Amino acid sequence: MFQQLVGKLPVGICIVDENYNIVFLNDFFVDRMESDHRSDYTDKPISELFPEQAKFLRRRIKSVFVLQHPSFSYWEQRPHIFPFKSSRPITGEETQMYQNMEIVPITSPEHGKLACIFLQDVTAQASYFIAQQELSLALKREHEEQLKLIKKLDSAQSQLIQAEKMASTGQLAAGIAHEINNPIGFVTANLNTLKDYAGSLISICENVADKAAQTDEKCQIFINDLLESNHFELLKEDMTPLLDESREGLERVRDIVENLKRFAIEESSGWQLLDLSETMSQMIELVSVQYKIPTYKLSCQPECVKIFCEPGGLKQALMNMLINAAQSIDKKGIVKVNVIGNEQSVQIKIIDSGSGIQEHIIKKVFDPFFTTKPEGLGQGLGLSVAYTAIEKHQGTISVSSKPGVGSVFEVNLPVIDPEEE
Amino acid sequence: MSSTISLNEDQRDALQELMNISMGQAANSLAHLIETKIGISIPKISAVTPSELFSLINRSENAYYTRQSFLGDIQGEVMAVVSESGLTEVASLLEYEAPLSKSDVEETILELSNILAGACLAGLSNQLELATNLNMPTLFSPNKASFVELNWQHSLVMEVQFDIELSSFSMRVVFCLDRTSLIKLTDTIDELLG
Repeated sequence: MFQQLVGKLPVGICIVDENYNIVFLNDFFVDRMESDHRSDYTDKPISELFPEQAKFLRRRIKSVFVLQHPSFSYWEQRPHIFPFKSSRPITGEETQMYQNMEIVPITSPEHGKLACIFLQDVTAQASYFIAQQELSLALKREHEEQLKLIKKLDSAQSQLIQAEKMASTGQLAAGIAHEINNPIGFVTANLNTLKDYAGSLISICENVADKAAQTDEKCQIFINDLLESNHFELLKEDMTPLLDESREGLERVRDIVENLKRFAIEESSGWQLLDLSETMSQMIELVSVQYKIPTYKLSCQPECVKIFCEPGGLKQALMNMLINAAQSIDKKGIVKVNVIGNEQSVQIKIIDSGSGIQEHIIKKVFDPFFTTKPEGLGQGLGLSVAYTAIEKHQGTISVSSKPGVGSVFEVNLPVIDPEEE
Repeated sequence: MSSTISLNEDQRDALQELMNISMGQAANSLAHLIETKIGISIPKISAVTPSELFSLINRSENAYYTRQSFLGDIQGEVMAVVSESGLTEVASLLEYEAPLSKSDVEETILELSNILAGACLAGLSNQLELATNLNMPTLFSPNKASFVELNWQHSLVMEVQFDIELSSFSMRVVFCLDRTSLIKLTDTIDELLG
């Protein structure tokens, strides 16, 4: 009865002796073997019947004989020890059986020490497990893609906010510039008149001083005392340069306002031809007012580089990069802008000798909301806005930097034919 | 029944000696199989809480973890912490050919754990005349969260470290017994001590 039971067990049983020769196989094994081996397997070496994994089997069986202790093999590491077909040859997707194996030491009076191999068909579990794993991988991928999309949406939204903010800032600036122009106008006019008046006053005083000698002694002393106590000599010398300097100052204010107006007005003016050399020089002037420490240099090759672009966005991008470059310098340093144009493309390099960017954050500098500035001082949008704007112009933007030495931001823009746009 | 586990000094000494012998046999078996010298530490026996158990096995980085349950007169689990360093040499002793695939590495680890855990358990069971059977080992990665959720308060652990000469390889084997098995174990030891 036991013989029958063992024969019919839904688990493979293979018993080998210490010479690795087969002593017994149950139906599970025999049914799955090639027909010519089915009748005479007894006393044959296991390596002859199952040469595929002979080395592994020998090693494991040896370990069981030596240690007198079970040995296991799991389908995940070694799925197919015996070359058996899947138990579902028609409907299953697998062609080979997935197997778990356990070898246990046993003894018999007839054969002495034996090793018994139990083989379990785990194809169903394995394929279920594999399917689950694939599913979880697919889910993970999908999840990652969704995260990316969400990030993109986030950045798009923040850019919209930024653009909106910039647009209103631009309008505000244009309005203020206009308002400032009026008082500057009359202050300048008044200053001119004031200079004339001052001239007249000085010549009156000089005349009086000259004529003092011809008056009586009392009057002469009075006039001289009066001139001296009011430091007439100093007044006379200082007044004209003071007034001239004030006028120069006013001219500078007017220039700045003019620049600001020009810069701000073309917000949503659509695509048009932009003179990059002029724009960069305006921009440098604007930035240098606020960031006085660095020395600014501009080189343009050829002298005039024009590009068909959306001026608002491109200027914003370049401005953000220029401000960053200027901010990176806290003691002494250079901010250099190189513009090189040819027929196919325009390259703009913004080079600074500032603090540089640490290697571990350099990949993040274009991410929205990434900033190294203290809280409240930067929103981390500048470079991300620049990135999007350059992308919109089908251009590329890249950065290389060395902490303590400086950074180079390089923008490459293809020359776009106005017709195509 | 109190929730803490206590062994008296005699019981602890006896168990330590039994472990010592079993571990020695285990080391011998492995040494015999892979034909190299193996060093073992003095077994440590202690009662632990789940979080203590976690820090006990999770001491080393770059390690693999296996677990293997055993049934019979005493029941519990054996956990093994296998160092990543020196594994290649050990695999070659076990006749694996370099370069090792991921499956080769996993198989080596599982086999090593199985040999050592099996030998330790067999040694202990034989000396105490208890019947035990070891189940298939599996890889796992311990994380603190899952240890906190374990539904026991205290367990007895026996820990021993194996080192293989000529290689930086080392491996720790931690035996954990459930409460019923512990009572059975102490009873058996008491019988032995007479």
